[in-house]
Amino acid sequence: MIKDILKYSLSNLWNRKLRSFLTMLSILIGITAIFALISFGQGLNSWIDGFAQEMGTDKVFIMPGGGLSNAPGTSNIKFNEEDLDFIRKIKGVDEATAMMAISGKVGYKDYRDVYPFIIGLSTESNEMRLIEEMFGGIGIMEGRGLKKGDVLKATAGYSYTVPNRLFKRELSIGSKVAINDVEVEIVGFYEEVGSPTDDAQLYLSQEGFEEIFDIEEFEYIYMRVAPGEDPSMIADRIKEKFRKYKGQKEGEEDFTVQTFEDILETFTSILLVLNGVLVIIALISVVVAAVNIMNTMYTSILERTKEIGVMKSIGARNEFILLVFVTESGVLGFLGGLIGVILGAGFAKIGGMAASAFGLTMIQPDFPCWLIAGCLIFAFLVGSLSGLIPAIQASKLNPVDALRYE
Amino acid sequence: MVKRDKHIIRIVEAWKTYKMGDVDVHALRGMNFEVEYGEFVAIMGPSGSGKSTAVNMVGCLDVPTKGDIYLEGKNISTLSESQLAQIRGKKIGFIFQQFNLISTLTAKRNVTLPMVFQGVGYRKRVRRAEKLLKMVGLGERMQHKPTELSGGQQQRVAIARALANDPDVILADEPTGNLDSKTGKEMMDFLCNLHKKEKKTIVMVTHDPRLAKFAERIAHLRDGSIVKR
Repeated sequence: MIKDILKYSLSNLWNRKLRSFLTMLSILIGITAIFALISFGQGLNSWIDGFAQEMGTDKVFIMPGGGLSNAPGTSNIKFNEEDLDFIRKIKGVDEATAMMAISGKVGYKDYRDVYPFIIGLSTESNEMRLIEEMFGGIGIMEGRGLKKGDVLKATAGYSYTVPNRLFKRELSIGSKVAINDVEVEIVGFYEEVGSPTDDAQLYLSQEGFEEIFDIEEFEYIYMRVAPGEDPSMIADRIKEKFRKYKGQKEGEEDFTVQTFEDILETFTSILLVLNGVLVIIALISVVVAAVNIMNTMYTSILERTKEIGVMKSIGARNEFILLVFVTESGVLGFLGGLIGVILGAGFAKIGGMAASAFGLTMIQPDFPCWLIAGCLIFAFLVGSLSGLIPAIQASKLNPVDALRYE
Repeated sequence: MVKRDKHIIRIVEAWKTYKMGDVDVHALRGMNFEVEYGEFVAIMGPSGSGKSTAVNMVGCLDVPTKGDIYLEGKNISTLSESQLAQIRGKKIGFIFQQFNLISTLTAKRNVTLPMVFQGVGYRKRVRRAEKLLKMVGLGERMQHKPTELSGGQQQRVAIARALANDPDVILADEPTGNLDSKTGKEMMDFLCNLHKKEKKTIVMVTHDPRLAKFAERIAHLRDGSIVKR
């Protein structure tokens, strides 16, 4: 019976090819958008997960002011060597390092200047490692890392190895760049982080940073909590002790202590809200599609009133008529969903490639099975539910009236 | 045990009332009508006599506002829409003036459709549809859609469809109305044949006295009830 209904429904859809196609198109657009958007959301989520894995969740930061609201180098509150020493001594802190950061002018040959962040690092290997973990656990992929005594030497982010991304030509080991008009030699390149800002950074030793920018103070303090300690508890402890050390009242601190997890959560929730808003917009188009399907089904039932009467007169039960029309709209929904998923995957792939070309490797689509299945089921449900009311109406037609309908 | 009724269809004191605005229109006014097993009856009557309504009752397409209809001794006037559908699909074969084939389906699938509704298995119903179409002389045109067939051929498909579930009653509503006289004559031969050879009960509605002559009995309908001659 189900096979018969399906066969009959399909032949009806085929007989009205153009209308079926147009109706399908309306749902296809919504599903394409939803599939592509969610696949990006998923890709971003798994990038963040991977990033978190590399970074570990045992890190705590101290930032000036209210947190991440300030761009590096724009705050006049900084930390100094004594602050860092104080932090190191707090119970539960395993190791700590400080980082200098500022937006600097970088020139290479005659190409147009760029303005990336310049980072000042400790050359102690464990401290440098801590900073590297902050950037997703990147390591040196070419050349060498900074070491003690390097002053006018720098390591560079991944983007400098790609032509046309920062400068027209890629840099290589030994290239000379000018940071704020001071000539610096590139000694190594870092692996890719996946975010364009991080991949454009140049890293100097703290001595080099002082030499070029004449800044001795730190922008951020990073620490790793001792194994087995709860990072958020340590963060609270640091906040309290550091406030007392600085002689500030509670709630009036000029610094913020955050665990890595807090930051990740903020970052993730912003992205998810953004993604969610886009998905909701796409959902609106699905609602429009549902109305369109309903309209198509009403028209179709009107046209086939006589046919319904004939079918009833030769023994069709109401359920058969109902199922025929629900199947037709369900099939329209399902096909729209199927093509939508395929197109959505295509668009997402293209979008991902475009993002890669701009250095945004963090924005890559992910196509989990549940998303594919979910979109198909959703489209099928939208189709069949939109067809349900017209189908109920059709099934209840009085056979005598329906037969007389011209 | 109910004594077996000698009537396959019995309509008792049937009234059918339609509301048209504030006015009640009585299409049937206490109609009494019986059809015996194996009978060939013609129903005649001028338009407006309640002919269509009466046919709908006989065909179990409609139930009376008041009164009862018995099909094989069973009162069907209280059944639900779907129960009626099931019964008419099994017991009654319709032949319409307009042929009323499903235009999107081939001749063969049109004939299999009533069997689909009765839950007949795929192979069995395809075999039967082929047999019936050969019987009505359309063995070569089974895969044609109605629009690719002549009026006479379409009506023969309709006959094959009416016979699909081997019903007891064939209900023909002006079966030759849309056919030329030669094809109309062929159609009547078919009906007579079904009556004589297959022992089918045939109820035919017509306004043409020449066609009515083929029947064993003619029932005249006037003002919503059968009049005795």
